[in-house]
Amino acid sequence: MIAIQIDDVDIGALIAAAKKHGTGAVVVFDGVVRDDGITEMELEAYEEVAVKELEKIAKEAINQFGLLHVDIIHRIGRLTVGENILIIIVSAGHRPDAYAGSRYIIEEIKKGVPIWKKELTRDGGRWVPGEHGHGKGHG
Amino acid sequence: MTVKIRFFARFRELLGTDIMTEVAPGTMFTPLITSIARNNPAGYAAVFDEKGAFHEFVILMKNGKRVELSDAAKTPVIDGDEIAVFPPVAGG
Repeated sequence: MIAIQIDDVDIGALIAAAKKHGTGAVVVFDGVVRDDGITEMELEAYEEVAVKELEKIAKEAINQFGLLHVDIIHRIGRLTVGENILIIIVSAGHRPDAYAGSRYIIEEIKKGVPIWKKELTRDGGRWVPGEHGHGKGHG
Repeated sequence: MTVKIRFFARFRELLGTDIMTEVAPGTMFTPLITSIARNNPAGYAAVFDEKGAFHEFVILMKNGKRVELSDAAKTPVIDGDEIAVFPPVAGG
């Protein structure tokens, strides 16, 4: 499942579905809204492009690390402290590939997928600065 | 010819988004975005520097594909194009 969506997901169900034949390890990355003195976080995406880039990253991770399954769900909209922002679930035959594949996916997302976060505070809000590598541009 | 311009994040707050605009044949990326951004001084300053060039961190896309800043002045837009202009990404 590759998606950009408002709704949360059932991580337990995704883990169960990720246990494909041959799976020896499932790695779950769950990025959550941190309590940095904010009231909420607002997330925005260039959805059509972002989904395509997530699909490309997933395919690259499968090829590079021999993953058996990949889910990437990035949420948008307004989220409160502690809510899930990004869920990455990968399965592989062995843990080194599962860990490496999961790490690869999150780092690639941070480099180039058009998604932005705004931290909302009592005084207004501030856009989280992007990593200024100028975006890798998976398109 | 009609094209759509989409700004995102901070740029969207200042300049709006999903802007449909009529353009003459042969219009290039840079003058098109310049003319739209001029409607809002803070928005213009967010996208362009004092010399009228894109800030180096600005990312441009045409129909979902990257357009390098160095090519923007010589990249034409055509009818139906979707132009996206946005700051560095911060997902994850």
